[in-house]
Amino acid sequence: MTRKIVRYPLVAAGVAALIVAGADMDLAFAHKEKHTAEQLQAFEDVFIEQVKTGDLLFHGDPDAQKRLNVKLSNTGMACAMCHPFTSDTHPHEFPKFQEQMNEFAALRNMINWCIEKPNEGEKIDPDGEAMKALEAYIYWSNRNSKLDPGRH
Amino acid sequence: MSERERMRREMDRMLRPAGERPDASTSITRRTFLHKSVVLGTGVAACGLFPTLSTIDLAFGADAPAFKFAWISDTHLYPKELNTRFVEKAVRAIKEVQALSPPPDFLIFGGDLAQLGDPVELKLGAELLSEIKIKKVFIPGEHDWYLDMGATWNKMFGASPWSFDHKGVRFIGLDTVSHADDFWTSRKMSAKERMGNMATLDGTLGGAWAAVGAEQLKWLNSTLASWPKDKPVVVITHNPLWECYPPWNFWVRDWRQAQEVLKPFSNVTNIHGHVHQPLYNEIGKVRSIGMLATSWPWPYAPEGVPPLTKPMIRADPGDHFDGVGWGRWTVSSAARVEGEYMMWRKEVFATADADSGTGDNRNQVLTPRIADRP
Repeated sequence: MTRKIVRYPLVAAGVAALIVAGADMDLAFAHKEKHTAEQLQAFEDVFIEQVKTGDLLFHGDPDAQKRLNVKLSNTGMACAMCHPFTSDTHPHEFPKFQEQMNEFAALRNMINWCIEKPNEGEKIDPDGEAMKALEAYIYWSNRNSKLDPGRH
Repeated sequence: MSERERMRREMDRMLRPAGERPDASTSITRRTFLHKSVVLGTGVAACGLFPTLSTIDLAFGADAPAFKFAWISDTHLYPKELNTRFVEKAVRAIKEVQALSPPPDFLIFGGDLAQLGDPVELKLGAELLSEIKIKKVFIPGEHDWYLDMGATWNKMFGASPWSFDHKGVRFIGLDTVSHADDFWTSRKMSAKERMGNMATLDGTLGGAWAAVGAEQLKWLNSTLASWPKDKPVVVITHNPLWECYPPWNFWVRDWRQAQEVLKPFSNVTNIHGHVHQPLYNEIGKVRSIGMLATSWPWPYAPEGVPPLTKPMIRADPGDHFDGVGWGRWTVSSAARVEGEYMMWRKEVFATADADSGTGDNRNQVLTPRIADRP
C-alpha cells in the first residue's frame, strides 16, 4: 500500500487544543478540573493518529517509514503478513518469557525482534515515535482482549 | 474432554456402520492423516478409530489404478534480489516434488506464484517450476492477477476454468480470484496501488473479492452434467469453497451456490490454497482441505476455524522453513488417497493449547484495521 497520508496538521491541531485547554487552568496539572468534551476529543484524536500511523507502519507503508526514518524490513515482508489484524501478536500476554528471545520480554522487545529477525529490518528506538505508533496500533487492534500477562 | 474430541467421537458414533470396528493399523503419522470413517456410501470400509480430520480420502472403484499427484502453492515470489528466502523455499519444494520416485502423475499449482503480480515475479516462478518435468496445471491467486488483471498470468500459465479426467477422477480448476468489485477506478488508483491493496490480506478495500462467479458456476454445472454422481471429483480453487473467515477472503462469497452444484455428487474433494495452513471442513459429501504455502504460514483466523480442523502447531518465526511446505497424495489400488502435508518440521499438528494456533487465542479479540477507513 502506498497511499500518502499527511497527518501532521491533525496532530498539530490536537496538540494545540491540549495547550489551549491547559491554558484555561490556573495550574498546568492534569485532573484539577473536569474534562471538557473538546479535551476528550483531543486526547482521542492524538491516540487515533498514532494508531493510524502504526497501522501504516505495520503494513509496510514506505511513506510512513520514510517520515519516521525507520526501515522495518529488507525482505518485502511487513508485520501484517504474519499478523493480519495483528492476530497472534497477543499484546495482552506481555510481559512474558519469550521463547525465541530466550528472555523475559515486553511487547516492544518482541516487536524489535520481529523487525530484526523475520523482517531483516533495522531495530528501532524502543522509546521512539515509530515504536509508540506500532504499540498503539497493536493495542488498539486487540482492545477488549482479556489481560493475561505471562501466558505462553 | 475437549470440544474437538467430543465432536470426533460423536462423528464416529454417527458414521461408523454397525458392527464395524476400528482398524488397528489406523494411525496418524507425523505427516499422514487418514480419514476413512466419514466416507459413506463409497465402497470404502469404515476403519478409522475416529475421524481424524484434515484429510483427503477419495474413493475409487476397486480396479482403479494407483496414482499420485503433488501440490505446490502460495510461493509469493518477489524479484530475486529483494527476497531470496521465498525463492529458497520454492526451490526446496520443487526439488522435493521432482525427486519423488516414482514421480507423481502431475503437479497442481494452486495460485499466488507471485507476490505483486509483477511479470518479473511470474517469470521467476515459471523458471523455477520448469525444473519439474511432469505435467503441471495452474490456477491463479489474487497476487498473480491484479497488476494487469490476469493478462500475464493467462498468457504464461493458461486461462481457468479447466477440467481433465485422470484415471477415473474428474479434476476441475476454477478461478476464484478475478471477481473483485471495482474499488480502484473511482479512487483513481494506479495498477500498482490496486495490486498493493489486493495483496494485503487484511485490507478492506478489496472487500469480498473471492467468488466463483455466475458464469463459472454455469460452466461448472455443465461440465459435471455428464459425470456419474458416484465418481470422484476434485475441485481445485485458490480460496476455500465454504465460509471460514470472510474478512480475509477465507471463502468464496457464492459458496452456497457452488456447494449446490456439487451437492449431487457423492465424492467431492476441494483442495485450496490461500490460507497457508492446514484447514479442513465438510459440507455434506464435499470436503475442503487447505494446503500449506511455501512462503510463510498465516495464523488461524480469530473465528471460523471449524471443529473438524486439526490445527497445526504455531510456526517458529525465527525459522523461515518452519510451518510451510507442499503437499502430496498417494492413491492406493484399494481406492484411497492419503494426503500428506509435506511440512519441513517433525511435528505438524498441535495436541495441546499451548502449541496450537487456535486453542491459545481464547483471550484474543481483534478489530479490523483502521488505515483503510475514509
